[in-house]
Amino acid sequence: MNTIVRKQMSIHPDVMDLLNNQIAMEMKASASYLAMASWCDQRELLNSKAFFYKQAEEEREHAMKIFEFINDNGGAAISPNVNGVNNDFESLLSIFELGLEQEISVTQSIYKIFKAARKNDDFITEVFLQWFINEQSEEEDAFRSIIDIFNLMEGMPLKMIDERIPTE
Amino acid sequence: MKNTIETTSDSYHIEYLRFCKYVLHTPTKAIQLSFPQMLELRRKINAKTTYKSLNAIVNNENFVLLFVADKQHLLFLEIPQLIKLKEEIAVFFETPDFILA
Repeated sequence: MNTIVRKQMSIHPDVMDLLNNQIAMEMKASASYLAMASWCDQRELLNSKAFFYKQAEEEREHAMKIFEFINDNGGAAISPNVNGVNNDFESLLSIFELGLEQEISVTQSIYKIFKAARKNDDFITEVFLQWFINEQSEEEDAFRSIIDIFNLMEGMPLKMIDERIPTE
Repeated sequence: MKNTIETTSDSYHIEYLRFCKYVLHTPTKAIQLSFPQMLELRRKINAKTTYKSLNAIVNNENFVLLFVADKQHLLFLEIPQLIKLKEEIAVFFETPDFILA
């Protein structure tokens, strides 16, 4: 649909709002992974710590990708408030379970934007989000595989389980 | 070409002048806006008109002060004006240009 603001922006304003929410979500996820990395770092869980530091960076990269996409398409990207980050965890397994839950929430949120883009004929955003859908599939798989390691190595010392955590 | 949407004669309305040039007419003044300033106004108005925000406004001062056009102007808005402005902005962003032309 050609609106009066179409010459100014290539993406739909409602979709832009959802993308801005997604930036906040990705930045919150990044901060959350940083908290998880710190918990692991303090306990000398070296592979887990490396995994979460990398996850924190990746989430920030995702946020930046969306941030630049919005501005490149004439919209207004909003730098989000990040608060309420949990720094208190029960165990390494619970951290990975939380990580998986977080990734699933992010995936669901991407689907929501994808649907909104499709509904509003915002094909630019739809194509842009395809990369994120593939990426989320990989992220969820990474967490599921790690949780599987915990199940397979049940009863083994935590340090040995940590050594099996992939850092790449 | 001038595209104007008017709600009521004494209320707020937005006028499209040309590419990246808009005017927000208020009962007291006309404010020139660029497109980024329009987007920022839209964001602020949307944030102020959520159910939670409106409740907070009603339970406190019952008005909002809003900076617009990169803090060059300050708007005093009561709830009905706030909602009218929200509708005005929504119409401006959503309406096909052939209707406004």
